[in-house]
Amino acid sequence: MSARAYSPHLDIRNVGWLLASMLFVVAPHLLRLPYWVGIFFIVVVGWRAWISWSAIRFPPRLVVAAITVAAAVGTFLQYGRITGREGGVTLLVVMSALKLLEMRTQREVALSIYLGFFLVLTNFLFSQTIPLGLYLLACVWIFTGTLIGFNRMGGAPSVVERLRPAAALLVQALPLMVAFFLLFPRVPGPLWALPRDTQSGHTGLSDTMTPGRISELIKSDAVAFRVRFDGPRPPFATLYWRGPVLPVLDGNTWRADRSRELFGRYASASRRVRYEVIEEPTTRNQVFALDAPASPPSDAIVRSDLEIRTRRPITEARRYEMSSWLDYKYGVDEDPAVLREASAYDPERNPRTVALGRRWAAQTHDPHEIIQRAIQLYNRAFTYTLEPPQLDPRDPYDDFLFNTRRGFCEHYAGSFALLMRAAGIPTRVVTGYQGGEVNPFNGEVIVRQADAHAWTEVWLRGEGWVRIDPTAAVSPLRVEQGVNAALGPIGVVPTIIAADRLGVLASLRFGWQMINGDWEQWVVGYNRDRQRDFFSRLGYPSVDWRTLGFWLLIATFSIGAAVTIGLLVRERPQREDASLCAWKRYCAKLAAAGVARSPHEGPLDYLARVKAARPELAASAEEITRRYVAARYGAGASREELRELAGRVRDFRPA
Amino acid sequence: MLADFRQSVSDWIFRAAVPEPPPVTLGQRRIFILPTRQGYAFALMLLLLLLASINYSLSLGFLLTFLLGSMAAVGLLHTWRNLAHLRIRPGRCDPVFAGDTAAFAVTIESPSLTRFAIGLRRRGEEPVHGDIRVEEPATLAIAVQTQRRGRIRCGRLEVFTRYPIGLFHAWSYVEFDLSILVYPRPDPAAGAPPNAGQDAGEEGIPIAGDEEFNMLRAYRAGDPPRQIAWKALAREQELLTKDFSATASSELWIDWNDAHAPDVESRLSILAQWVLKADEYGQAYGLRLPGTSIAADRGGMHRARCLEALALFEAPR
Repeated sequence: MSARAYSPHLDIRNVGWLLASMLFVVAPHLLRLPYWVGIFFIVVVGWRAWISWSAIRFPPRLVVAAITVAAAVGTFLQYGRITGREGGVTLLVVMSALKLLEMRTQREVALSIYLGFFLVLTNFLFSQTIPLGLYLLACVWIFTGTLIGFNRMGGAPSVVERLRPAAALLVQALPLMVAFFLLFPRVPGPLWALPRDTQSGHTGLSDTMTPGRISELIKSDAVAFRVRFDGPRPPFATLYWRGPVLPVLDGNTWRADRSRELFGRYASASRRVRYEVIEEPTTRNQVFALDAPASPPSDAIVRSDLEIRTRRPITEARRYEMSSWLDYKYGVDEDPAVLREASAYDPERNPRTVALGRRWAAQTHDPHEIIQRAIQLYNRAFTYTLEPPQLDPRDPYDDFLFNTRRGFCEHYAGSFALLMRAAGIPTRVVTGYQGGEVNPFNGEVIVRQADAHAWTEVWLRGEGWVRIDPTAAVSPLRVEQGVNAALGPIGVVPTIIAADRLGVLASLRFGWQMINGDWEQWVVGYNRDRQRDFFSRLGYPSVDWRTLGFWLLIATFSIGAAVTIGLLVRERPQREDASLCAWKRYCAKLAAAGVARSPHEGPLDYLARVKAARPELAASAEEITRRYVAARYGAGASREELRELAGRVRDFRPA
Repeated sequence: MLADFRQSVSDWIFRAAVPEPPPVTLGQRRIFILPTRQGYAFALMLLLLLLASINYSLSLGFLLTFLLGSMAAVGLLHTWRNLAHLRIRPGRCDPVFAGDTAAFAVTIESPSLTRFAIGLRRRGEEPVHGDIRVEEPATLAIAVQTQRRGRIRCGRLEVFTRYPIGLFHAWSYVEFDLSILVYPRPDPAAGAPPNAGQDAGEEGIPIAGDEEFNMLRAYRAGDPPRQIAWKALAREQELLTKDFSATASSELWIDWNDAHAPDVESRLSILAQWVLKADEYGQAYGLRLPGTSIAADRGGMHRARCLEALALFEAPR
C-alpha cells in the first residue's frame, strides 16, 4: 500500500486519553498505597507519554521484564507477600503501568483499557461510599470515551465526540444494569479464601476489654449498625445494645467465655419492642440486640449469657428483624458454674480495690446496699473523660479508684465488677453500644463505633442478672443523651456541626446521613438477604435462583427490546409517508366521530363534507388538510412540517 | 490453516450473490454481527469482575460489572446501527496503466446520523475507513496495485464497522459489477507512431499548434481540453473546439504489424505508447489489431476505446 493508513493506537491524543484515564482511576489508590508506588506509576506514565510524544523507541522487552521483577520484589518487601488487599492492588497498579510500556498494538490498547476497568473494581475493596462511587463512574465514563477514540479510524475525536457517545452508551446501559443488579442471583461470598486484610478497615468491639480499648473505638465515627423501630422508639436511656459478654477476669483483662451455648429462660418478660437492624460488616459473628433479646434472627443463636452469635462471620452488610424485652428477669436459676466464674478474681492484683469490696461485704449483707455504696463512690469524686491518665499496669483499678479517678466506661465497668466480686456479688462486664443518633428525617437510630460502651450485670438472688451501669452514676448525660453530649466537642463529629444540632448544617447532615443510610442498605448492602427481602415486598416470599433467572430473562428481553426500538426509531430516516400516517389517523378520528371518509373521496372533497357536517371543526380540519395536501402532493415537507402535521392531528378532537 | 477454514466456512455461509443494481441499502437482513477478539477478551474481563465481586461481596463491583456488560450490549446495537440503512453505490473506477495504482471507489451515503469509522475492504485485503456524514455522501476507494493489463473485477466488497467500542464487528457484503480496466503500460522507447503526420517528416514529433488552425466548431464530448477555445469561452460564447487542419487532413493508422517486438505484451506496450502520442498531437488515428480495427477518430473517448481494445486484446476474460 502506498499511503500509510491512520493507526488510532499511535495517535498521541488517544494515548494521552488512555494515560489520563489511568491516572484518574489509580489516583485514589496512590493516596492509600506506599509513596513509591505513586512515584513509580507517575514516572512510567510520563515515560509512556514521552515515547508517544517524541516518537522514541519503546524500551526493550528485557528492560520491561527486569522492571517488572523489580516491582514485584518491591511489593514483596513492602508487605512480606504479594497477595492480600494492599499487596495485590499494589502489584496490579504497578503491572498496569508497565503494560503501558508494552502497548504497541490496538489489541494491547484494549487490554490496557480492560485493566483500567479492573482497577476501578479494586477501589471498591477499600471503600464503597457515594462520593467514591461517583468518582469511579466518571472514570468509567472517561475510559469509555478513550475506548471510543481508539475505534475512530479517521482521526482522534474531540472531547465532545468522545464523551457524548460514551455518555449515551452508559445511560442507555443503566436500565439493564439496574435489572441485573436487582435480579442477578446473589451467591454469598467468598468463593475462595479472603486475604486476611481485606476487611481490615472495619473496627468494632472485640472479645476482650482492657482499660483503653473502647476509648480508641470512640474516636471512630464509622457506623456500626442502624436500627428502625416498629412503633415508637424506647427512651434513649434504655438503648443498651448488647454485644460481647465478658465474665472471665484474666489478670486485668476481661474476656468472653464461649463454652456455654444454651439459651436460658426468662422468668418474666414484658414491654416487647420490634425493630430491624442493618449491621455493617465486622468479620465477626456478633449481632447486636437491644437488651434483652426475645428472639434471635434466622441464622443466629442466643447464648446463655444473652449474647447473639451468627453461624458465619458477617462479611457483608446484613439486615435482620429482631424483638427485645425492655423489662425482663433472666437467670434467676443460673448455673452455679456460671456464678462461680462470675465471682472469681485474683486477690493479688488491685489489693486496695479488693480490700474495699471485702470491707463493704463485712459491713452489710444486702447487695443493694453494696451496689449503692459503689455508685455513690463514683458519683462523688469521679470524672468522665475520654483522655484518662495512664494507669499503673499491675494494679490499674487501684490506681483508678484511689488516685486518678478520671476514666471512661471501661474503667468504671471494670473497677465496679471487681469491687462487686470482692464483695461477693457475681458480676460480669457487658460490652456493646449505648444510645445512638436519631435521624429526624426517618426516625432511624444510627449507632456508631463512637457509641461503644461497657457496663456490668450483677446477679442477685431472686432477681437474676441485673444491669448496673456505673458510668451513668458519673455522667448521667452519657446515658441519657449520648457520648457527644457527655464529652462535648472532643467527640467525633466536627465541632461546628455538633454545636448546631438543629440548624441548617444539622439538617444537611441528617439528610446526607439518610441518603447514605439508604445507599448502605440498598446498594452497598444489597445481598442475598436484601434480594429476598425485595422480592417478598413484591409478593414473592421465597425467591430462588430459578425465579430470579426467569425474571432476569424477561427483564433483559424487554429492556433490550425497548432500547433497540428507541435507538432504531431515532436512527430511522423520517418516513416519506409520515404525512399519510397522520392523514390516516385524522380520518380514523373523524370516522369515530361519525364522519367517515368514503374510499373514493379525495382530501378536498372530504374536507368540504366535514365542514358541512361539523362546522365547529372547520378551521382545524382545513389546516390539517392543507398541510397534508402540501406535504403529499406538493413539493414535499421538511421534518418540522411533518412533525407539525402529526402534532395537529394528535390535538384534533372531533368527538 | 484455521484462517483458511474460516474463510471457506464464511464463503459457504455467505455464498456469492449475483451483482446487484445500485444503490444497495444495507437493510436489517443483510447485516451480520459477531464479537471481535477484543469482544471475547472483554467478556473474559467481565467474568473476572463478576467473580471478584462475588468473592469480596462488593456491591459496587456488581454494579460495575453489570454496567460494563450492559454497555457492551448497548454497544452491539450501536455498532449495528452504525452500519444499518447505509446506501451504497459504485463510484468511479478509472482505468489505469499496468503498474499504476488503481482504485475501486464506492460511494456511501448515510440517511441519518453521522456514521464513524465505516470500513470497506475486498476479501483478504487491507481495509479503508471513512466517516460518513448525513447528506454528504463519502467515497471510499480501495487501492489496488496493478501488474498486468486486462480487467480487474472488484468482486464482493465487505462494508463493516466496529465503532463505537470495538467489541463487535458488524458487516455486510455488497457486490457491484465494478471493474477496473488496466491498459498496457506504454513503452516510452517506442517514440512516436511511424508515419505520423506525413508533412512532419522524419523528425517525428510535430508540435501541436504547428498545424494550421482551421476553424472553430461546436464542442463534442471527448474533445481534448487542449483544443477547447478557452478564450471564446471567456467571451461567454458557447463551448467551442479548435480544429486543426493538419490533424483534420491526415489520417494515421496505428498498426499491430508496425510494432516490432518479440511478444504480444511488448507489442501492446508499443501500441499504447503510439496511441498516447497520436492523441497528444490531436491527430485522427485508427487502430488495427489482428481481428479488429477501430476507425480513425480523435478525442478522449476514442483514445479510451483504443486503449481498451489493447487492454483486452486476447485477454482471458
